[in-house]
Amino acid sequence: MGKVLMKGNEVIAEAAVQAGCKYFFGYPITPQSELVAYMARRLPEVGGLFLQAESEIAAINMVYGAAGTGVRVMTSSSSPGFSLKQEGISYLVGSELPAVVVNIVRGGPGLGNIQPAQSDYFQVTKGGGHGDYNIPVLAPASLQEIVELTNEAFDIADRYRTPVILMGDGMLGQMMEPVEFGERTHSELPEKNWATTGTRGDGPRRIITSLELNAQSLETRNAALQKKFARIKENEVRYETYQTDDADYIMVAFGTVARITMNAISKARQEGIKVGLIRPISLWPFPEKPFLETRDVVKGYISVEMSAGQMVEDVRLAVNGHAEVDFYGRTGGVVPTQEEIYQKILSVAGGSRYEHENSF
Amino acid sequence: MNRITILTGHFGSGKTEIAINMALNEKKIHNKTAINDLDIINPYFRSRDVSNLFELQDIELIAPANRLATSDLPIVSGEIYRVLHDHRYRVIIDAGGDKDGAMALGQYYHEWKHLEPELLFVLNANRPYVSTLEGARYCIEEIEKAARLKVTGIINNSNIGNETGMADILSGYELCSKLSKMLSIPLLYTTISVDLKNEANSFAKSHQVRFIKRYMKLPWEG
Repeated sequence: MGKVLMKGNEVIAEAAVQAGCKYFFGYPITPQSELVAYMARRLPEVGGLFLQAESEIAAINMVYGAAGTGVRVMTSSSSPGFSLKQEGISYLVGSELPAVVVNIVRGGPGLGNIQPAQSDYFQVTKGGGHGDYNIPVLAPASLQEIVELTNEAFDIADRYRTPVILMGDGMLGQMMEPVEFGERTHSELPEKNWATTGTRGDGPRRIITSLELNAQSLETRNAALQKKFARIKENEVRYETYQTDDADYIMVAFGTVARITMNAISKARQEGIKVGLIRPISLWPFPEKPFLETRDVVKGYISVEMSAGQMVEDVRLAVNGHAEVDFYGRTGGVVPTQEEIYQKILSVAGGSRYEHENSF
Repeated sequence: MNRITILTGHFGSGKTEIAINMALNEKKIHNKTAINDLDIINPYFRSRDVSNLFELQDIELIAPANRLATSDLPIVSGEIYRVLHDHRYRVIIDAGGDKDGAMALGQYYHEWKHLEPELLFVLNANRPYVSTLEGARYCIEEIEKAARLKVTGIINNSNIGNETGMADILSGYELCSKLSKMLSIPLLYTTISVDLKNEANSFAKSHQVRFIKRYMKLPWEG
């Protein structure tokens, strides 16, 4: 099959189907409704099941039930609806169930609006629900990358028995780009010998629950979960760097904002300002390595986000005082322009002073 | 020629870009040109999102008021009646995709049944569900039911965005030709990006081609 022209939301759905996801429980919300609509039409074609639940809360708990049987299952929403799913997500983590949860982020807080945003970063990376937990979060920047990362998301979910979040802003969900669905990469995955598919007297009873009444037992369970999170941190970090080798300043941006930022970088480079980019692809685990490698060399970092400043906190933790960390963000669904980002680079890099230094 | 042109198509067929280009062209001929954004499906990338362009060209944009433009409500502007019945106007109507988008058209049946509007079906054969003859036919039938009108012409807008090559356009042309024959609906023309003007030269000699510019740009596109 050659390239097709698709919407971001459709690409997530099709990539999930091709990754073997046969079950989808969801509730429509702008700007991710095309994903739900696509699944409603597509899943019956592959012998799967689509169900529009009565609410986001119902949908995430249906995901819990389906995941318990060991099948590949997904749900999706946008910010307010994603907030409603938090209790269920915490239960998925506590019960160690694999599932993929999509958040196509819109302007908040509250009802906000339907324009693109990245202001759910804290919610997805710091645990939006209750309890001690982390969830792998993947943030694609292009529609082709959605194909790859959706597939990865299901594999990571199965490998660690964990929910995985796929996050994009509304623009990524709504925009169209050519994509190709090539051969899927298959990775070695553990057998789902925990799935509750009915006992045949062939082993001990299988119970899936996050309930643990005894304090010591729950602490032991937490310790095991923390060990798992450490393994994920070790193995599932994903990022990309762009022109960081000779950079004096490094921009940090994820998703579509990284694409706008790259243009601003090109413009700055034309003006003789050496700027690079670190693009986190996994938001949790946050990529620390590219910061450890550059923080004693560069003059500073600028985090660019469609939020009031969320990822910048992880940048500061990774840089740990070794260099200046600056921030530029737009909120409420306003998308930063490359000119604004370029101006920010100028103001941080010193503008005319910089030119003066370089004129010698 | 028809004073009223309605653009329909499957979801993501490229209707809006064609509607914008059409409005700009028609404005050169008709003093009064109005573009009606009846898109009740898409939250972004609609005609109303290039309102500055229309203002600059003195084209009337008929769309929900600014304060409601991004309200996520399936609303249309009542102003449409004014231009439908004012015979000085050249009217272009940009509906949302699929039967769901065409549903916004059905309500105007009694308003325009005597005005014989042109109902065009835009087809991009590189989109899911309309890449086969059967899929495209089904889509047309569903739209006709919802719009309460018959499709009067087909536009081949086959492309894969900025990676489009002539092969994508030609295979779409083939599908549109077959569809045209099967349903006895004329294939009017093929729309091709101005960026492909040289490549499309010989094709344009044998078949009507309209070169279009893209106005719905992403923030990182020039």
